[in-house]
Amino acid sequence: MIVEIGHYAVVTALLLSMLGVAAPIIGLKRKNAAWVQVGQRALILTFVLITVGMVAMIYSYLTEDYSVKYVYATSNSKLPIFYKIAGLWGGHEGSLLLWAWILAFYSMAAATLHWKTQPVVMPYLILMESIVLCGFLLLILFLSNPFERIFPAPLDGKDLNPLLQDPAMVVHPPLLYLGYVGLSIPFSFAMAALFSGRLGEEWVKVTQRWTLFAWICLTAGILMGGYWAYYELGWGGYWGWDPVENAAFMPWLVATAFLHSVMVQETRKMFKVWNLFLIILAFSLSLIGTFLVRSGILSSVHSFAADPGRGVFILGFVAFMLLLSFGTLILRSAKLKSSVTIESVVSREAIFLFNNLFFLVALVTVFIGTLYPLLMEVLQFNKVSVGPPYYNAVFMPVALGLIFLMGIGPYIPWRKTTAKNIKELFGLPLMLAFGAGVLLFIFGIREEYALASMTVVAFVAAAIFIDFRKIALFWGKRDRVNPFLGFLSAYRRNPRRIAGLITHVGVLVMIVGITFSSLYQTEKILIMKPGDEVSLKSFQLRMATLHGAEGVNWEGKEALFDIYQEDRIVTQMRPQKRFYTVSQTPTTETAIYQTNMGHLFVTIPEVSPDGTWARVRVLHNPLVLLVWYGGGIMGIGGFLNIFRRDRKRSVVSVASGVTAKTAPSLASGRDGIVAQRSES
Amino acid sequence: MAAFKGWHVLLLVGTLGLLAIFYQGLWGNPNFIPPVIVETPAPEVTGPDLYKGTAVSLSDFRGKVILVNFWASWCQECKLEHKSLLAIKKHYEDDPNFAMFGINYQDKDHLAKDYLQVHGNNFDHIRDLDGRISIDFGVYGVPETFVIDQEGIIRHKQIGPIIGDVYSDMIEKVIDPLLNGTAGIVGTVSSS
Repeated sequence: MIVEIGHYAVVTALLLSMLGVAAPIIGLKRKNAAWVQVGQRALILTFVLITVGMVAMIYSYLTEDYSVKYVYATSNSKLPIFYKIAGLWGGHEGSLLLWAWILAFYSMAAATLHWKTQPVVMPYLILMESIVLCGFLLLILFLSNPFERIFPAPLDGKDLNPLLQDPAMVVHPPLLYLGYVGLSIPFSFAMAALFSGRLGEEWVKVTQRWTLFAWICLTAGILMGGYWAYYELGWGGYWGWDPVENAAFMPWLVATAFLHSVMVQETRKMFKVWNLFLIILAFSLSLIGTFLVRSGILSSVHSFAADPGRGVFILGFVAFMLLLSFGTLILRSAKLKSSVTIESVVSREAIFLFNNLFFLVALVTVFIGTLYPLLMEVLQFNKVSVGPPYYNAVFMPVALGLIFLMGIGPYIPWRKTTAKNIKELFGLPLMLAFGAGVLLFIFGIREEYALASMTVVAFVAAAIFIDFRKIALFWGKRDRVNPFLGFLSAYRRNPRRIAGLITHVGVLVMIVGITFSSLYQTEKILIMKPGDEVSLKSFQLRMATLHGAEGVNWEGKEALFDIYQEDRIVTQMRPQKRFYTVSQTPTTETAIYQTNMGHLFVTIPEVSPDGTWARVRVLHNPLVLLVWYGGGIMGIGGFLNIFRRDRKRSVVSVASGVTAKTAPSLASGRDGIVAQRSES
Repeated sequence: MAAFKGWHVLLLVGTLGLLAIFYQGLWGNPNFIPPVIVETPAPEVTGPDLYKGTAVSLSDFRGKVILVNFWASWCQECKLEHKSLLAIKKHYEDDPNFAMFGINYQDKDHLAKDYLQVHGNNFDHIRDLDGRISIDFGVYGVPETFVIDQEGIIRHKQIGPIIGDVYSDMIEKVIDPLLNGTAGIVGTVSSS
């Protein structure tokens, strides 16, 4: 009964989203704001109704109603409550429902928050969001309905895929969707700008925080997925250039490029068409990613049930969105031209241009690699996958180039600069970087990639540190406080810049983690019996016992290892080989011991049938934790940026009586040194 | 009127082309295992010999059955299969129609030599300096082994180490039939 209520709520939501498409069009035609309001109300109601649908599904999970086919397929009475709820996004149908719910949430939020301030944009925003919602609701109701029942009702469910029974996997899909779908808001604003012809800097400023939030979620989602793969799949890596990973990485690359290039538009009124193109591309890639994942067109460890019917529908929808958005861009952009041109290659705008080019090259690299098997198949060649060697060869240099730019972009002046200036700005960081490179070489780092990436990281770190030190001292002196408070005071004056730099610091930390954990990973694979010993780096591992173990919904074998360092026992580790009884799937549970910022990582991928020996895989991943700590710092930078308090001048965009009065009073305040740049 | 520029056309054609490929792709077999290049001509391999440094080309050995093994000194599973490789070479020592090469993948010159010093060696190795050979062969990781027939067609791909049954099958079911001209289609095998 409850499920039926949910079902009908979602059916009604579909009808309302159609109204959300129609109402703003009528409103625009008749120039009647009331119709736009109807559209907004429809969006809000759509959100409420999809929420009802979500709650109904969760209710079925909690009450163990296995007459609901999807619940039957992704849950089991023995599952802990936590995973019962997460079962909702453990399969195709529920994932789409979650997608639609998040989209409805964003749409509702944007249509409410900007209702007063963005009246011109509103009809287009409601229109675009409703179109996307409509598409997904159609897909859910007609081709992937989670509310469907089966008869006779099974007694118990088939269980959630054991690999997904994991805390990281519970939050990974929602985060990823918050990222994917969040890009729809700046996308809709961009489309609104195109339709309404208001192609100035306004849409860029309004959408900044939306894009940032989506970007943080996407980053977190990707990292969470990597973390999950790292310890749950047990192969010791966190990134495998798998098509589905790439599907999330591609919009990330473009969104990152977009976050940078909008700054050029804000400050120098350049890159107008380019920014529109980027955000359309970013959201299109989200949709294409959904298509790639959901249609099963590419083979991947993630692939879900393939269904050409669904594939055709999603493709049709993607085609519609792509043609609509790029078509509009093409038709409208002919009118636009950048009023300013780049004056010099050594200017901040030029560095931003390079930054964008690099991101796009990175995108093309990943894109070609991902679609290569498909291309080969369609063009009647034999299917060949592009493996890590391709990405290592092509992607890494681009990534290094991007990191290098992080050390230049934030410090080089706009417009143009002099040779003397460059020497002053980058002389010291370059020298420090060179010194760091030599030091690393002396300390035995010989891998070319490690040396190159660490030298570049040192360069950027030095540049950031010198800059932070300078502003901390400057403001400390001005406000007569210590440098730390001086730094805070500098932060208050330009939170956006400093928050951005903090994100850069996070990237650096992550790069250190990636470099060391991938280039200096050590590994041993061997057959061990209880009593056997193996040593790796400074650790000795002794297999004490190999015994049976069981949990609520699985049984299996567990090995107990005593870990010694210099003949002292430091810890015990218990890797497991599990067999989930309901779904009849084996999994390999990793045991991890943290050492400094690295991991000792033990798995037993194979246990002999009689339980006398196990194949043991021991890995040492130095500094691997920095990958996720770096991600955390990036997130802190991102959130500081979202919640920053802009100074008055950047909030009020049109010079009104109010700004005219406040501006001088600010200027005459104690921070009068900051030039009051006119914003009109 | 709107003035259309080059990038407009490019964007439109690109979008349409992509959609066409996606559409076509939908009718393909999604569960088809991708890294299969069996039954296709082997890519040309040219690279320096590990010891002599002189260029070696696989096409010079056309007319023979060639076993190509991708390995690296840092690869643990390679060590597992190394004895098998030596045995295969030894098994066909007197057969002039058989050739065998190791492709040393993403490795350091001296580490590769140390590895062979420790584990023994009886066949030639080509260095894959920039990873191109591995990309051409669609190698995902090491070890992977390919068997190429007299016509230069890849007839077998082995993912993972050649140990146990895989070893005897490699000789009895793959190489022998090719040398005798009695081979059918062999396919890709994954040992892990």
